[in-house]
Amino acid sequence: MLLALVLLPILAGSAMLLTRGEDRRAYRAVGVAVALATLAIAVAARSEDWSVPWLRAPFVANFHLGIGTLAFWLIALLALCTACAVLAVDSARPRALVGQLLLLEGTMLGLFVSRDLLLFALFYDLMLVPVFFVLLERGEHPRDAWRYIIYNFAGGLLLLFATAAFGVLHGTTDVIGTAGNAISGTWAPWIFWGFAIAFLVKTPAFPLHTWMPNTYASLPAPVAAVVGAVQSKAGLYGFFVIALALMPQEVARYSGTLIVLGSISLLYGAVAALVQTDAKRVVAYSSLSHLGLIVIAIATQQPLALAGAALYIVAHGLFTAALFIGLGYVEEREETRSLARLRGIGAKNPRLAGALTIAGLAMLGLPGLAGFVGELVIITGIVQSGNIAVAVVAVISVVLASAYVLRLFQGIVNGPVVHDLPVRRDLTWREGIAIAPLLLALLYLGVNPHAVLAGGTVAIPRAPLSSTSGVPTP
Amino acid sequence: MTLPFTHVDWAAIAPLEVLAATGLLVLLLDLVLRPFAPRALSLGIAILGTIATAVMIGQQYGTNVAAFNGGYIVGNFSVLFGGVVLLGTLGALALMGRGGRDRESAGTIALLLWSACGALLLAGASTTMTVFLGIELLSLSLYCLCGLADRASAREAALKYLLLSSTASAVLLFGMALLFGASGSVALSALATPAMVGNPLFWMGSGFFLIGIAFKLSLVPFHAWAPDVYEGAPLPITAFMTVVTKAATIAIFARFAYAALPSGASQMLLLPVWIVAGISMIVGNVGMLAQHDLKRLLGYSGIAQVGYILAALAGTTRVGLGYAFFYLAVYAVMNLGAFAVAAALSSGDAEEGTKLETYRGLGARRPLLAAAMTFFLLALAGLPPTAGFLGKILILAATAGSGYLWLAALLLVGTAISLYAYAKIIMAMYRPDHRVRVAEAVRSAPLPWVSLALCLVATIAFTFYPLLPTGLLPLVK
Repeated sequence: MLLALVLLPILAGSAMLLTRGEDRRAYRAVGVAVALATLAIAVAARSEDWSVPWLRAPFVANFHLGIGTLAFWLIALLALCTACAVLAVDSARPRALVGQLLLLEGTMLGLFVSRDLLLFALFYDLMLVPVFFVLLERGEHPRDAWRYIIYNFAGGLLLLFATAAFGVLHGTTDVIGTAGNAISGTWAPWIFWGFAIAFLVKTPAFPLHTWMPNTYASLPAPVAAVVGAVQSKAGLYGFFVIALALMPQEVARYSGTLIVLGSISLLYGAVAALVQTDAKRVVAYSSLSHLGLIVIAIATQQPLALAGAALYIVAHGLFTAALFIGLGYVEEREETRSLARLRGIGAKNPRLAGALTIAGLAMLGLPGLAGFVGELVIITGIVQSGNIAVAVVAVISVVLASAYVLRLFQGIVNGPVVHDLPVRRDLTWREGIAIAPLLLALLYLGVNPHAVLAGGTVAIPRAPLSSTSGVPTP
Repeated sequence: MTLPFTHVDWAAIAPLEVLAATGLLVLLLDLVLRPFAPRALSLGIAILGTIATAVMIGQQYGTNVAAFNGGYIVGNFSVLFGGVVLLGTLGALALMGRGGRDRESAGTIALLLWSACGALLLAGASTTMTVFLGIELLSLSLYCLCGLADRASAREAALKYLLLSSTASAVLLFGMALLFGASGSVALSALATPAMVGNPLFWMGSGFFLIGIAFKLSLVPFHAWAPDVYEGAPLPITAFMTVVTKAATIAIFARFAYAALPSGASQMLLLPVWIVAGISMIVGNVGMLAQHDLKRLLGYSGIAQVGYILAALAGTTRVGLGYAFFYLAVYAVMNLGAFAVAAALSSGDAEEGTKLETYRGLGARRPLLAAAMTFFLLALAGLPPTAGFLGKILILAATAGSGYLWLAALLLVGTAISLYAYAKIIMAMYRPDHRVRVAEAVRSAPLPWVSLALCLVATIAFTFYPLLPTGLLPLVK
């Protein structure tokens, strides 16, 4: 079943790329069906464990698949986002786009179900390829494809090096899901930073983020939704299951550096989001800011902060995907993303405006939506860990978040109708269904965060929460 | 009168005999049957002969025979490197369906087979005499083959290769002479005695020997000939050289490094080689960036890839040898695959498939070929799910495991640069491009497609079922 989980979207996507024809309905239907099937398989195979030997020298490596707690939520997020993104595809050439989305889903599913570091590294690099091709064929500038692949491949190489060194020293790479100080001694910092830099590139965090705004702005909205919502979490997931679980001493030793990088990302992303004129870039920089907060939470190793981080990872994925899909709708209708041009969607397309508003409010951290709970729990955790200054920075960034979200919405939703922009019909049923599940999930997790928070809390086998009473009920 | 060699000796080199006889048979049949489609016949016989040779070599797996007084050692090492040599030969033969004149095809094929004989000899050679014999047999045939195409660059390539390679042979020979002076024996194993450490002749001889090898392997700073020669030579010959020459020369280097050096001197003596390997990774990959010809580009790529393979040998560990061989085999497969795509796009002597201009917009015109090329280029760069990825991680494990961290770092930097160069071609293939259509073969020959498909399958299969060789050592008896 687990193997089918990974292979189904990959085979379906490859087959789709080999077909001919551009029937939007058919491709969308198949794509959504595959994505929902993966969700069903993931639920059914949640407790499965599958392993086949791979290497015996120079270290033991297995094709070992399994679904951890955090991984399960990421898989659910991924399947949901993919289904929504596929449904939102409205290109004249849907075949390649849907095919690449399925390939992207398959490779990322592979990443999240890997229980072996080498397999993890394999999928970590493999998931770059579909995005690279989408950027090549549909990106706004060839430069964007370059930046994306070079940055991320360089990160992948460091991961490769760290994996090889880890394997040689530890004897096996079949370690995801286990815990303990696997590596110590003179090599530990090198290996840790190999992993950490790879993950920070992917997340991204300052100063390794420069590929990200261009990539997100250049990608077609459905792909940007999946990449921004889920692929960016691959790095954070790596921090959880590799850095925190296997080398907590190193995380503790370098927590200062990580916290500084996270804080800079947090503030810099928020400030940069305030001055962007491209709506997608606002979301891109906000992502830098929000994920910086998660990096800080990870660096503190505070159980509460980690629990909040796990929830926020899911919440951020949901509202980022919803926003990118929504902005894609705006771009299809108005043929621009420039905040200097857009006005008055609220008057023209009220349903679209409503959807965008809910997603934006989640991003801003409105109580009742999932983003709020995540931020609150993380900041509480940071305060508990004694980093008051960092908590202050985080709160400042939350205030800045209100500013840029409101600026985004004043720019797009409010104001008089601009007469030289086209007037198109409001959200269709299909478009509405493509964004509604994400918004509903945000609302559900906002009022019932225990679904993620309490269900074994976080996939860190090392640090079981002393008691679930530590988790506040918002 | 008694013959100096017994039937055991002759049986040990039976595969070479078959391969050489195949070459003769091709020539003879061509003489008789010239009016009747000789090219297809010659190719068929050559391919069958090569496969037969491969089977015979395969049967030697697990044996350990020192033939010709230790001049040629049959063992797993010679079997595996011989296998790569024959793989490269088959890959090159598969590309020979087009190009060149029909009446020359038999001669070309025969020369190619004899060149492969030289390479096979090198895989088992363990005295300086057999090493030199193998290198000359390999090179002499290649000098002719390089100049076959009817263009100025081919003549330049042949002459350049002749001059530079002869110089390298001379340096190698001088080194061998000094080594003989030091040990009083032509056997490589005779050098592995502690007495050699204090012997200046040994140091000088080894130095010259290694310089000669570096020349043949086109390591920096002796690399400049390779791209020029590869560009000038016909496509199948270039494919042959990138794989077979490298495999044979690496076999010699490995045998020298593992079996001929006294333990006290080994690491100090080989350190310059590792340094040169590290520089080659950078120079080769940077050199790729400016190329407009696929053969030149793969020539530079080869310089870097040899660097990777040598990096696995750094520290001369037992596991490193296995990984070096694994990566060599993987490199052979993915490289031959890229050449097969180029051949499928070529209609003959014009070799359209070697000009990077041809790849513009290929993704729209020939989606399957473009996808295959993308796959092989990503494999060369080391992206999953190709065996290039697994090969790189194994090399990293070996290099880091033996303490050569700086070499691992250079490998990472070089690989990152290389992706830029490979992705440039991929980009040209998939960016929508509405410029004038470029010339390319409309109907492809079937053999390159077969070769391409086999390489593709092998490149994926090696990732998930890595056949890591064991029992390569000892290299001398």
